[in-house]
Amino acid sequence: MAFYDRMMSIDRRIIFLSVGLAVAIPIIVPLGFPVQISEETMNFYREMAALKPGDIILLSFDYEGDVMAELNPMAVAVLKHAFSRGIKVIAITTYAGGTGIAERLLTEAANRYGKTYGVDYVFLGYNPDWSGTMLRLGESFKATYPTDQYGKSVYEIPIMKNVETYRDIALVVSISGSALSEYWAIWAGGRYGARVISGNTAIQAILIYPYYKAGQIPGFLGGLKGAAEYEKLINAPGMGIRGMDAQSVAHALMLAFILVGNVGYFLFRRAKRREQK
Amino acid sequence: MKRQGPIILAFAIGMLMLIQFFTPAAFFKEAYNTILDWKQVVLGFTFILGTWSLIRYHYIKINRKRENWQYSYVTLAGLAITVLAALIWKTAEGPYPWLFNNVQVPMQSTMFSLLAFFVASASYRAFRARTFHATLLLIAGALVMLGRVPIGSYLSGSIFGVKISLVAISDWVLNVPNAAAKRGIMIGVGLGMTATAIKIILGIEQTYLGKTD
Amino acid sequence: MAVTHDLGIWVAGILTLAIFSFLYKDNPFYRFAEHLLVGVSAGYYLVQYFFSAAYKKLWVPVFQEGHHVLLVGGILGLLMFTRLFRRTEWISRYPVAFYIAAWAGYVIPSYIQVRILQQAQDTMFNPRGMPLGEALSALILLIGVSTTLIYFYFSAEHRGPLKTLSKVGITFLMIGFGATFGYNVMGRVSLLIGRFQFLFTDWLGIVH
Repeated sequence: MAFYDRMMSIDRRIIFLSVGLAVAIPIIVPLGFPVQISEETMNFYREMAALKPGDIILLSFDYEGDVMAELNPMAVAVLKHAFSRGIKVIAITTYAGGTGIAERLLTEAANRYGKTYGVDYVFLGYNPDWSGTMLRLGESFKATYPTDQYGKSVYEIPIMKNVETYRDIALVVSISGSALSEYWAIWAGGRYGARVISGNTAIQAILIYPYYKAGQIPGFLGGLKGAAEYEKLINAPGMGIRGMDAQSVAHALMLAFILVGNVGYFLFRRAKRREQK
Repeated sequence: MKRQGPIILAFAIGMLMLIQFFTPAAFFKEAYNTILDWKQVVLGFTFILGTWSLIRYHYIKINRKRENWQYSYVTLAGLAITVLAALIWKTAEGPYPWLFNNVQVPMQSTMFSLLAFFVASASYRAFRARTFHATLLLIAGALVMLGRVPIGSYLSGSIFGVKISLVAISDWVLNVPNAAAKRGIMIGVGLGMTATAIKIILGIEQTYLGKTD
Repeated sequence: MAVTHDLGIWVAGILTLAIFSFLYKDNPFYRFAEHLLVGVSAGYYLVQYFFSAAYKKLWVPVFQEGHHVLLVGGILGLLMFTRLFRRTEWISRYPVAFYIAAWAGYVIPSYIQVRILQQAQDTMFNPRGMPLGEALSALILLIGVSTTLIYFYFSAEHRGPLKTLSKVGITFLMIGFGATFGYNVMGRVSLLIGRFQFLFTDWLGIVH
């Protein structure tokens, strides 16, 4: 087998093992790469920082367990930022599998900051039909969610007392693993004028740029890196910052493999051309 | 009745939901809210139907002893135990959230994390700078991969006295050419979906009704 | 630096390894875990669907708050179950038509507003007061959006200037796809980091 052939056909088990090590080693032995803040994250932070104590945000957990590694750090950071500044949180989820995740994160954050359920935050739970829910919230929160996640009437929950529509919400924060942030911008933002910011998986974040540029989503967090940047801004290092070393090394490794494959390909083409001559 | 009825219903509901956008009339507002409420219930029941289909699929698989039928017992048992846990101990605490946190979520997230290995292997094999456009794709991908992680901040230098950083370049790529491409696609999709919606309301598009009678 | 004694984390850890075992090859441990995931997830979702649709959106408003009109939604929902029998399958077309048409009705104005007009408006080139670099970027954005749309314009054959412009469009699309690839890798690696963090921190206690 020619050298270039070997360069182009590395066994996939070697690739798998290398990727595993590239991720595992920096987690065990942190390298401490610095996290630089992007403009999108800075704008997300500014939107949150502009809120006043007592303001209410609608935090939508638009994801399930599959992408929690990317999005949990964002949701945790948003809750820390909100609770530490006396901002109240109405949480919902647009995924049936998002209920367990939201419950856990809300409870952990509330316990840490001594927040009371029903007064400082509430979890209204899951509702089927994304767009229908987002539009209905624009008309009536209480009709959209007659009860919270635990079956308690929203009329008996203090935080819900003065909340009728998006007008009573200072900011909508969508933490999303799919196109849900876009839908919030279309239905809550476009139709009802709600201010929407988002935290997105990396795959989804790439599609947010047109909304961001048009001001429909004035700030967003892109992937685990976005979470790390936000954690740095609010001075609460978490899983985002801790994951950045592994992220860097794994990216460098994957690019190295692509480079090796391409060098092999060029050598192969040169050899072919020589043969033809 | 079997085909014309649903088409007439679609026209009436579609027109109502369209007109309400342009009028503050109380009737339309009321109808809009009611239809949104109905719609949420319909979808909820549809999801329940979906779960029923899953149960039926595995039941048939066991009954006919199809390949790997033994594993269907695992699926049905998992489903039954989770539902029973919710019925007996409720959903807020106990075995129901325990199963979610320690069985469902870890496996769900691991399943998706497997893709990291396959993406690495596939990109190594498929990404070749064969043509101008393939090279462009490769360069843009590499810029984003390096520029959006902390390691990228080390990669900067100056050319003819002008300071250039990889982070700034990747930011520009994302905010200008990438945003342009995505916006072009978005406008195109927006036009396509609007046209499809009009066709549904007018009864031109009927594929959602299934096969003809 | 100690292995956890939490049974739940042990179960999660073992199931995580069972899924990872697929990297070697398809095997009974993986298949067991895969089927268990489907079953437990379906059970979890079923409870949530039932609670949210049948209780929260139907029982409470109809029987506790007296909004009887919502019963119609419940009937429409139940009609979906006619799909289970071949003879009554056609009845389920009513709730399907209702759902799709309601969506189609409100999609039209909102999509035109948010995804077409506002996006087109933001693309318009207005260099007044802009620094040179920004103006240049705004111009490139306009060219990119226009040529991408031209690339997807299939009503006329791509010849002459149309061909040239659509080639410019492909160039922008390729840069966009490259960026998508980069972010895709980023996302997948992040998910793997999450699992390794769980294994090393929560389960094995190697990392704090």
